[in-house]
Amino acid sequence: MPYWYYDKKDLQNTPSFRDGIPNETENRYRKEGARFIIDTGSKMDLGYNTVATGVVYFHRFYMFHSFRTFPRYITACCCLFLAGKVEETPKKCKDIIKVAKSLLTEMKFSTFGEDPKEEVMTLERILLQTIKFDLQVEHPYGCLLKYAKCLKGDKAKLQKMVQMAWTFVNDSLCTTLCLQWEPEVIAVALMFLAGKLSKFEVMDWNGRTPKHTAWWDMFVEDITMELLEDICHQVLDLYSPQTQPSGGDSPPETTASRAPKNDKKPSVTPPTSVSPVAVTKVAAPAITPVKNGSDLKLEPPKIDMRFTYPGYPTMPAYPPVYTAPPPSIPPPNRLPIPQGPPPPLRYAEPPPAPSRFPPVNVPPPNYFGPPLPTRGPLPPRGPIPPGPLPPRPYYPPP
Amino acid sequence: MASKIQSVSAPREPAPVMSTSSTILNMREKEKYIEDFEFPFCDESSKYEKVAKIGQGTFGEVFKARARNSSKKFVAMKKVLMDNEKEGFPITALREIKILQLLKHENVVNLIEICRTKATLHNKYRSTFYLVFDFCEHDLAGLLSNVNVKFSLGEIKRVMQQLLNGLYYIHSNKILHRDMKAANVLITKNGVLKLADFGLARAFSVAKSGQANKYTNRVVTLWYRPPELLLGDRNYGPPVDMWGAGCIMAEMWTRSPIMQGPTEQQQLILISQLCGSCTPDVWPGVESLDLYNKMELPKGQKRKVKERLKPYVKDPYGCDLLDKLLQLDPAKRYDADTALNHDFFWTDPMPCDLASMLAQHTQSMFEYLAPPRRPGHLRHHHHVPGVQPKPAQPTQDSGYQDRVF
Repeated sequence: MPYWYYDKKDLQNTPSFRDGIPNETENRYRKEGARFIIDTGSKMDLGYNTVATGVVYFHRFYMFHSFRTFPRYITACCCLFLAGKVEETPKKCKDIIKVAKSLLTEMKFSTFGEDPKEEVMTLERILLQTIKFDLQVEHPYGCLLKYAKCLKGDKAKLQKMVQMAWTFVNDSLCTTLCLQWEPEVIAVALMFLAGKLSKFEVMDWNGRTPKHTAWWDMFVEDITMELLEDICHQVLDLYSPQTQPSGGDSPPETTASRAPKNDKKPSVTPPTSVSPVAVTKVAAPAITPVKNGSDLKLEPPKIDMRFTYPGYPTMPAYPPVYTAPPPSIPPPNRLPIPQGPPPPLRYAEPPPAPSRFPPVNVPPPNYFGPPLPTRGPLPPRGPIPPGPLPPRPYYPPP
Repeated sequence: MASKIQSVSAPREPAPVMSTSSTILNMREKEKYIEDFEFPFCDESSKYEKVAKIGQGTFGEVFKARARNSSKKFVAMKKVLMDNEKEGFPITALREIKILQLLKHENVVNLIEICRTKATLHNKYRSTFYLVFDFCEHDLAGLLSNVNVKFSLGEIKRVMQQLLNGLYYIHSNKILHRDMKAANVLITKNGVLKLADFGLARAFSVAKSGQANKYTNRVVTLWYRPPELLLGDRNYGPPVDMWGAGCIMAEMWTRSPIMQGPTEQQQLILISQLCGSCTPDVWPGVESLDLYNKMELPKGQKRKVKERLKPYVKDPYGCDLLDKLLQLDPAKRYDADTALNHDFFWTDPMPCDLASMLAQHTQSMFEYLAPPRRPGHLRHHHHVPGVQPKPAQPTQDSGYQDRVF
């Protein structure tokens, strides 16, 4: 399987950059594309997994193609269309296009060409080849719930913290974090951030060993504070005015602000740099009859896992890019990550387990979790078979 | 090759502008781009050379092919049919790919890669895709239809042991095959069995109380379809594959499918004649299945599995295992693990390797290439004389509109 993680240098030298699109513009395109997938998916009642899978396809696609070759909104539709099928929540192509049309300006929708459905069909083949049919994507959501079950502390605060972390994970889709770090790492970092902001002090956790200096040591090895903060800031930067859309529509760059053309051959080989963080696949520690944290009902339906962007009347999400000019944004919170009361962030704070949403899509069971080992050796029975049974090798999935 | 890379980065003129007239030009540029782009992760199918058509899968033709860079490396290429797809790449093919990427086991067919044809004007810039598998020389239906292929009891045991081993693995990984039949059981010339054709497979979850699954029951080739599916069950699980394993096991001796019903109704009658009437006594809960009152269910039928199979099977352990696999009540049907622990596999003659027997046969044997097998050795009361029955294939949905998730 291809290696889907890149270091920051690779993320700057993308096909779009080599095609004359400045990094800032590309990041805005990525954000807008991701937001558009989230909005379209939410409007069609697609679950968070489908939406997140679509967004990951989108980010991966543009590690091989330029935004100038493939306009972002139709690619976004195609990613959502494919993700719907892969996650067993299929939507008809024409319905996705219909919703897309309702969310986009006429100008933006014109990039879909004369026969939008045919365009999506052609694009789907290109998408599949680009992502090497690597369809199954894991997301940080599942990790959040798993980690939360191990934490001890005030139940209500924990609940609030998990909801906040969940929203951060939603928002992180608008960054390239999914091209940098495994879902486990992102989950740890954003839970750490939510803990700081909601003042949920993790004093103790189930499965703690003397080796652990922090709760996340149990799930991800060798994660540094520096890395955690870097990840947090990539998400927090979403809420800062500098990165807010400068207003106005931005069709794929035409002539304005062309960066010097870089004709370097696209680097398609995965970077040699490998994630320095070894993800420890810890089976949820055998939880002994649980106190505190783990008897929490942290089942997703109780958490608002719907994307919060559409905005709550009093707590707007960061501004919908397509419908309204950005409201004034408070100054960004820069280092150090605030310890005190939650700053006036403009991300939508997850509402307390709202019931105002249509039936929430519960996360599907983990159909494609790590394969179970093959059948263990059969108990010795009867006469010894002539010759040893052929080995039954078990290859872990890629 | 090198020229392709150059043409990718060649300046595209003029810069795309948002207007109708230039959209067309833009389109042409894009076509050119698609034609020239070398997808680093998806090789061209021309790296293989087709040798022969060897079958028809759930969603396309299957070819034997040779790797051009090595005259010895053979593969099976399964074409993904997309001609009549309104919804793009078929969800069934996506499922098969996802499942095959997950399943890596000695007794499951190995997916090597997915290849594509080059996008050109000729195919309207739409590639055709092929799933590329390790080549297996035979399928079980082909072997059984050849009277010169004789399986000893030990060899039959080895076949069944591998088959159950494969089922144990896929079921442990929460996958249902849903199309068990002799033609989907491949055997290499070295005697290694591989479960194949995951075109109807899906992931399953254990239904939580009060929340029944709603899977389509229009799966499994009719002759291998278990009674719960024929009665409309939509909350089924691994036992559907175990029924198929039982049918295949019996076929190892009878050499042709044991219950060849021409319709679903007839299939149910054949099942009742072999396994006894479907009653709440032997199968608690059967009365609540959707079609229980809509299908004609023979009453007063005695179970005759052992009695009718004994003339073929002879081995009492074999008869007993068949009896356990062909249980009407899915809850009573043996699972793969229990079946593997059955005395059948642990008594003399022990399972023995197939390689030496297969070495006598140098020709590939596939059902697709074989002459039609003689109809059922098991005499059926309802068999229509003179009619060569054909197993009804599971519903071949062109898309997913027909599927139930």
